[in-house]
Amino acid sequence: MNVRTTLQRPPLAASAPSASRQALRTKIVSYLILGVFAIVYIGPLLMLVNTALKSLAEFYRDPIALPSSLMLDNFFEAWELANFPGYLMNSVFYVVAATGIFVLTSLFVAFPIARGYFKGSNVLLTLYLIALFLPAALIPQFQLILHLGLYNTQPGYILLFLVNPIGMIILVNYMKSIPRELDESAAMDGCSYPRFVFSIILPLIKPAVATVTVLHAIGVWNELILPTIYLTKDDFYPITRGLIVFAGVYGSNWPALAAAVLMLAIPMLVLYIILQRHIVSGLTSGSVKG
Amino acid sequence: MNIIKRHYLFGGGRLGYAAPLLLLAPGVFLYLLIAVGPSLATFAFSFTDATGIGGVPVNFIGLENYAEFLFRGLRSRDNLEAVWRTVAFSVFVTSIQFFLGLILALILNQALKGRTFFRTLYFMPVILGVAIQGLMWKLFLLPRGGPVAQVLGAFGAKSEFLGGPPLEAFAWVIVVQIWANVGITMVIFLAGMQAIRADLYDAAKVDGANGWQLFKHVTWPQLTPAINTNFLLNIVGSLQAWALFLVLIGYRPGTQVLGYLVYAEGFGRTSGAVTTAFRQGFAAAASIVLFLLVLVAALVANYIVIRRERRYME
Repeated sequence: MNVRTTLQRPPLAASAPSASRQALRTKIVSYLILGVFAIVYIGPLLMLVNTALKSLAEFYRDPIALPSSLMLDNFFEAWELANFPGYLMNSVFYVVAATGIFVLTSLFVAFPIARGYFKGSNVLLTLYLIALFLPAALIPQFQLILHLGLYNTQPGYILLFLVNPIGMIILVNYMKSIPRELDESAAMDGCSYPRFVFSIILPLIKPAVATVTVLHAIGVWNELILPTIYLTKDDFYPITRGLIVFAGVYGSNWPALAAAVLMLAIPMLVLYIILQRHIVSGLTSGSVKG
Repeated sequence: MNIIKRHYLFGGGRLGYAAPLLLLAPGVFLYLLIAVGPSLATFAFSFTDATGIGGVPVNFIGLENYAEFLFRGLRSRDNLEAVWRTVAFSVFVTSIQFFLGLILALILNQALKGRTFFRTLYFMPVILGVAIQGLMWKLFLLPRGGPVAQVLGAFGAKSEFLGGPPLEAFAWVIVVQIWANVGITMVIFLAGMQAIRADLYDAAKVDGANGWQLFKHVTWPQLTPAINTNFLLNIVGSLQAWALFLVLIGYRPGTQVLGYLVYAEGFGRTSGAVTTAFRQGFAAAASIVLFLLVLVAALVANYIVIRRERRYME
């Protein structure tokens, strides 16, 4: 670093009081910017809450006026109009099944790659690394599912989510930090390979597994395009698809729609606040498609 | 490489030497089956007239899909416009999101009261997902009496927002896209800033560096890994992103980007309609065009990144 040599000396007049005034000014500007952004982030949320608590008549009179009384009817209405309990159950099922299978199979892919246990493990790793840049698999994937007879079925839909290259790379990188000596001593003690991965490696890579689990689960939960393509039966809709279909039918009934959106957003927000650290690290490492 | 010896490590189990390879197989098989295979097969499909309807024969038609994409009068004009729109979308989203994410991270990297609150708030849309993001903004941008409409009204302006002229609707999708994802950029920058050694700042301060000089000579060069990550992720991500278009405006002429075009050609323009003619061969060709776009962008981005690194290495 040549910071020292390239920086100029300040003029001698720069004294303590002006420095503190400078600090104050920085602080004010900072809060000003943060405040403006906060409005843009809280605004849509407030509008959603405000709308969900109003009657339709009130909403049409003035969309942004505060509700005259706290009305919860919209929540019941939305809950009854659409099959939200069913959609929620489907979403939970897809998330649990897809994330469970993905994490389980990935552990056993990531470990040998991290160790270089077989010839071509580097080639395999590269195959995961370039996934981001490969052509979209959309069309042939559809043909595959169609020909497997899995179109419009739940197993077919779950199958689409059993792969996550970024999650795999996170696991591989983390496993590289686990000392190899562990392998040898475990093998010497006669520990079988599956038991070794589950009872020795897994506890050591918990943070990475948590990150990958969160990343994958949120991806499955929030997916909107794939259910639109693969699931035409209302009984199979996950919550995202259910919500968009509901919006299509009751689009002009904003109070009911806002209540529906809110009912789905609140559990996510609560989870987010509780699991913030894992969620942020998970989504940041997986921040590829938006 | 002592492969044999390493395999022997776990030779004690009932599965024998092959245990690691046997257990590796399901995951790799799934990856090849669902991701790599279909991805590569996109090239093959792009030379056919596949429809996606079971029982309809698939014929090899050579470069016809590409010819149609590029050289068939009005239709290809729409396609090429979608290509340019995708590029424009990516340029605006990448540059604005990068800049705003950097500003927010710089502000939140100071010892300010409430910084955790603001960071949490700006990241929030990321977990809500496109369906909720989109519906929230549709309501926020309500043309008649909505909050943004009222603010504009106070200045005597009027807008139909997402229902307005294509260019305007398109611009609003850019706004929502940035709103939804700037939190990611910010958090990556913040992580990069927290990894910068404090003594570098101390040394520069001793030399009397002011705020701007600290940023220019310490933060910016030291932030290189985060800058590279954000730059690459934003470019590739925004070229491929289109789900917000689906939620916010639907398939409207004059607004669609390439990703949406692929979807609309391959699976019908209205969601859920099963009867429209699906042109999956053509859609595959369009995804190859998108792929080439991503490839070129990634190579250019990579070139810029390497050049920057070399400059700071000296």
